[in-house]
Amino acid sequence: MKYPYFPGCTLYTKAKKLDDAGRECSLKLGFELDELKDWTCCGATFPLVNDQHITMSGPTRILADTKDQGNDKLVTLCSVCFNVLKRTNNVMRTDEERRTKVTDFIERDYNGEVEVLHYLQVLRDEIGFDVLKEKVVKPLTGLKVACYYGCLLLRPVKEIGLDVMENPTIFEDFISALGAEPVEFPYKIECCGAFQAVHSMDIATRCSRDILNSAKNSAADLVITTCPLCQFNLDDRQPEIQKSDNRFAPIPVVYFTQMLALALDLPAADLGFERNLIDPLPLLKEKGLVS
Amino acid sequence: MSENLLDKVMAESGQPLNLCYQCRKCSVGCPMVDEFDFPPNMVMRMVQLGMKDELLKSKAIWMCVSCETCGSRCPNEIRIAPVMDSLRAQCLAEGVTPADPVTVALHTSFVDSIKTFGRVHEATMLMKYKLKSKKYTSDLDVGLKLFLKGKIPIMPKKSKNVAKVKEIFKNAGI
Repeated sequence: MKYPYFPGCTLYTKAKKLDDAGRECSLKLGFELDELKDWTCCGATFPLVNDQHITMSGPTRILADTKDQGNDKLVTLCSVCFNVLKRTNNVMRTDEERRTKVTDFIERDYNGEVEVLHYLQVLRDEIGFDVLKEKVVKPLTGLKVACYYGCLLLRPVKEIGLDVMENPTIFEDFISALGAEPVEFPYKIECCGAFQAVHSMDIATRCSRDILNSAKNSAADLVITTCPLCQFNLDDRQPEIQKSDNRFAPIPVVYFTQMLALALDLPAADLGFERNLIDPLPLLKEKGLVS
Repeated sequence: MSENLLDKVMAESGQPLNLCYQCRKCSVGCPMVDEFDFPPNMVMRMVQLGMKDELLKSKAIWMCVSCETCGSRCPNEIRIAPVMDSLRAQCLAEGVTPADPVTVALHTSFVDSIKTFGRVHEATMLMKYKLKSKKYTSDLDVGLKLFLKGKIPIMPKKSKNVAKVKEIFKNAGI
């Protein structure tokens, strides 16, 4: 089974390992991510006011290309791309006036025919977490994992429809299927500070500190995420957090596909853990998950 | 004072702002509220009262990251992120100096990168942002760390569709 796939800009650069591991795991699970030809940026922003249309031209072109290349689905790994493509697609499906404006402007014919899916949805709804569990070669036994959702994977819940608002479980169900133990922690849907990190590192440091402390207070060994920006903030801010709190012990923050790859017994040396600021390898070795 | 602010923001955002009864659930859960000059519940009241000048000059409209936490929790289903977007658009359209020009510089650098390459290239985008925001040396250590870990390639990878993207920007007058 082939799924049309939109990697997005950051998965070609900073989050290459989110992409690499996702592609390799899919092959082990019996499907293939087929990269969309000549894709462009999704814009990374969904317009929130009704009279703004230009920001939808990018994602609409991507969706129209997907359809014209003969597909009815589009899979993403990045939370930001997923959010923008999914919400734009909703507008194309339900709002004739806005759809006409955008499609006339970019001179394309598109009515929301494609279904936008996050990779986690493919695992849950198309493969099934029970089947995933059977395909696990090396269960992540003894690893306590904080599943960090952030914002864009979930909200607005009515438009995204991946899971519920306050206590989603798709991520915990995923990591449980891999044999790890998800921890309950109250900050799993809090914002990491997002792009304000570029503006002021202090904001991202404060937000990341609260989220990581919440995870650590629930005895987590490791944090997983789907979002390149969340991964950057949560990983990169830790030395700064330590400067103001010398009791703060670092905690690794990795992409969910890296843990999936580990459970499917892909070689750890290929998973790019060395790119993390807080190295997860000592922990994974201690737990006997990497030799 | 502006009599039409509430109507305008309601029309642009599509949100029933007139239903806000100041329960403050938005402000309690807001991850950015420490950076705001007016907390979200106060922004709502100020829109209802037509306090346009104060709002367009506020820091709050630029510090909101549209995380949608408030909107997801509002008992009257008012999403504040679109309200903030409407106020940001009015600020720029009316030539008001943004209280936080740095965020505006970031957004424009991002769009410029898409215009040039069809995709976002972090290194050139952040360089442009540094020039626009005049924050030449801040966070250089972060950029260097990312570069050394191979997370920021030096050369941008253009999309083959960049000509089409440029055409769209041209037609939109951007």
